[in-house]
Amino acid sequence: MTFSSLLLQQTINGLSLGAMYALLALGFTLIYGILELINFAHFNVFMIGSFVALWVLQGFGLSGQAIVLTGLPLVGVLVAAFAVTMGGCGLLGVAIERVTLRPLRNVTGPAAMITTIGVSYILFNIVLLITSAQTMNFPNPLPPLQWNVGGAVVTLQELLIWGVAPILMLGLWAFVQKSRLGKAMRATAQDPEAARMMGVEVDKVVMTAFFLGSALAGAGGMIFGLYYNFTSFLIGFTAGLRAFTAAVLGGIGNVPGAMVGGILIGLIEAYSGQFIATEWADVIIFSILVLVLVFRPSGLFGRVAPTKS
Amino acid sequence: MITRRAAAQLLASTAAAAALGAGPAAAAADKTVVVGVHLPLTGADAQSATLILHGAQLAFDQANDSNAVPGYTFKVKVFDNATATAGQYDPAQAATNARKMVSDPHLVAAIGPEMSGDGKAQAPILSQGDLATITPASTNPDITNPRFAAEFMPAGKAIYFRTVTTDAYQGPEMTMFFSKKLGVKSVYILDDSGAYGVGLADAFEAQAKKIGMKVMGRDRLDPKNSDYSTTLTKIKSINPQALYYGGVDQAGVKLVKQSYQIIPKMIKGGGDGMYAPDILTAAGFPAAEGWYATIAAPHLVGEKQAQGVIQAYTSKYGVEPSDYALTAYDGGLIIIGAVKTLVAEKKPITKATMRDAIGASKTPTLQGVVQFDKNGDMLSHTVSVYQIREDKSKPLSDMIAQYHYLGSAPEA
Repeated sequence: MTFSSLLLQQTINGLSLGAMYALLALGFTLIYGILELINFAHFNVFMIGSFVALWVLQGFGLSGQAIVLTGLPLVGVLVAAFAVTMGGCGLLGVAIERVTLRPLRNVTGPAAMITTIGVSYILFNIVLLITSAQTMNFPNPLPPLQWNVGGAVVTLQELLIWGVAPILMLGLWAFVQKSRLGKAMRATAQDPEAARMMGVEVDKVVMTAFFLGSALAGAGGMIFGLYYNFTSFLIGFTAGLRAFTAAVLGGIGNVPGAMVGGILIGLIEAYSGQFIATEWADVIIFSILVLVLVFRPSGLFGRVAPTKS
Repeated sequence: MITRRAAAQLLASTAAAAALGAGPAAAAADKTVVVGVHLPLTGADAQSATLILHGAQLAFDQANDSNAVPGYTFKVKVFDNATATAGQYDPAQAATNARKMVSDPHLVAAIGPEMSGDGKAQAPILSQGDLATITPASTNPDITNPRFAAEFMPAGKAIYFRTVTTDAYQGPEMTMFFSKKLGVKSVYILDDSGAYGVGLADAFEAQAKKIGMKVMGRDRLDPKNSDYSTTLTKIKSINPQALYYGGVDQAGVKLVKQSYQIIPKMIKGGGDGMYAPDILTAAGFPAAEGWYATIAAPHLVGEKQAQGVIQAYTSKYGVEPSDYALTAYDGGLIIIGAVKTLVAEKKPITKATMRDAIGASKTPTLQGVVQFDKNGDMLSHTVSVYQIREDKSKPLSDMIAQYHYLGSAPEA
């Protein structure tokens, strides 16, 4: 491999990782933007998403790498699996909010954040018990297509990630910018008190944020499974922490920032693995987290926090 | 009418009697010998650990059924050396279990651990507590190396016995197999940052350098990370003839999957960490096809004298045993033999007497007569080599069918 093709290949690797981190980072950012709450349960909503997708695909009779679909059946199965996974995870997010967080809405201090850590561990252990901790083989109905681009290899799975992730992200962005509910979300983010006085139903806004953020995490989980062809109860923490770093890097609360942050973290992971050493990737990523928090707490894109009392 | 206080007293006395191993009704019955079995039964290692647990259990069940030591019944007490948080073996939990076993007055010997990282955490505690453990699978040589005695054997006597050999043989003998049998001249080495994986990769690397095999690089995988494509792309660009991985299956499964995508044609091998059912079921075929793996023991499931035990195991648990399930069975035989010796010599059965009896034992086992040196290592050191080749007629998790025995590795 020449240096340029190697660089290209690592960029491809980094972009795939980055797209996944970006999907997850959006969930952190949406919820933080509205509630100023870091939702650690998000890590494992992502993990559960990969299992929901696994069960749906198994429901279609797919297992292992033996069955490959093409054409309409492939599209149909994928769309159905994405829909069920995203819907299921969205509802899970709403349930988490309704049951564990709403009663704490007006409690100041870290109680709500600590609750999300607890919920995260509950989800983690439920899946651990259901799967008896086995690493699961994730079905891959995609045909094993790959293309040679400038000495680097691009697979169909990577194209799928690069296709699906931007569509979902743009959809979210459009929703937040254009729809009535999106406008209500932005209003609540700016000033919940004033928004309420103007007739915004804050509960509905919060529920929507949890639904959308968790649905995106579910999509991320399904993409994870399709890309790596395995899942386990453990996948949430590493990916979740990196996505959280991405959200902070982009400016937590800022939707385009989360997308850019995710891509950047993915690329940093790939390049540092290539040019420094794999074991330094985490050191570098989390050093960035610390540096951003110290020197530019509002992140790359974040405004200096809008006045919020 | 029983008052609350009377009930409490009754309960307390029953509990005390039970703790002594004999309820009032069973006063004349057998004395109980409690043996701890401590393995990583949660997470990525659970499948292979369960096979091992059953191997040990079978030895004691058979001894009880055949009344191998008249007047004594063996009882297995199981400890989980893994935690959900770690997702695999967890040295902190293993150390906690070692303390529990040492402080249990009825527990006189143990089988385990499976993982060297756990063993390193446990050895000093076991040494102080005089408790002998027989590991059927952990192969890191440091634990029994006299150079590190201050760390792992602070009380001076051997307590960490093995029915397998160590990575001081497993690593280098695989280097020789790569070089002599596969003609490998350049290699890239990975480890999974655990005590076992790093030690095994180090031993492989040292031997490679010694015989002039070119080591093109060395990297470390984080077992909790999901994506190794960065590292594998780097290896692809360096283009060595072979890849050697020191580590267990948590990172191993992902490595198998992703290396099939990125470096499908390269020769790939690992140690006994890659001899695990997870590699077959979670990584699956075609990804796992062609991988080499070793174990630090003779190929017992192929041995004639083991067939009876294999049959008993399979009919009892519904799966075929792994080789390390049989080395665990051997560990059980050694403990049973030590109890027998102490009974014959009319000595008390305590942790300390058991430790000495195991150290001095010469027990006929499935792998022949096992004898230990003064550090607890086996005198014989055979390393067996396997290659994964799919046998579609058998279940995916059938290790005997999917891991093809190639022979014992050349001596280093």
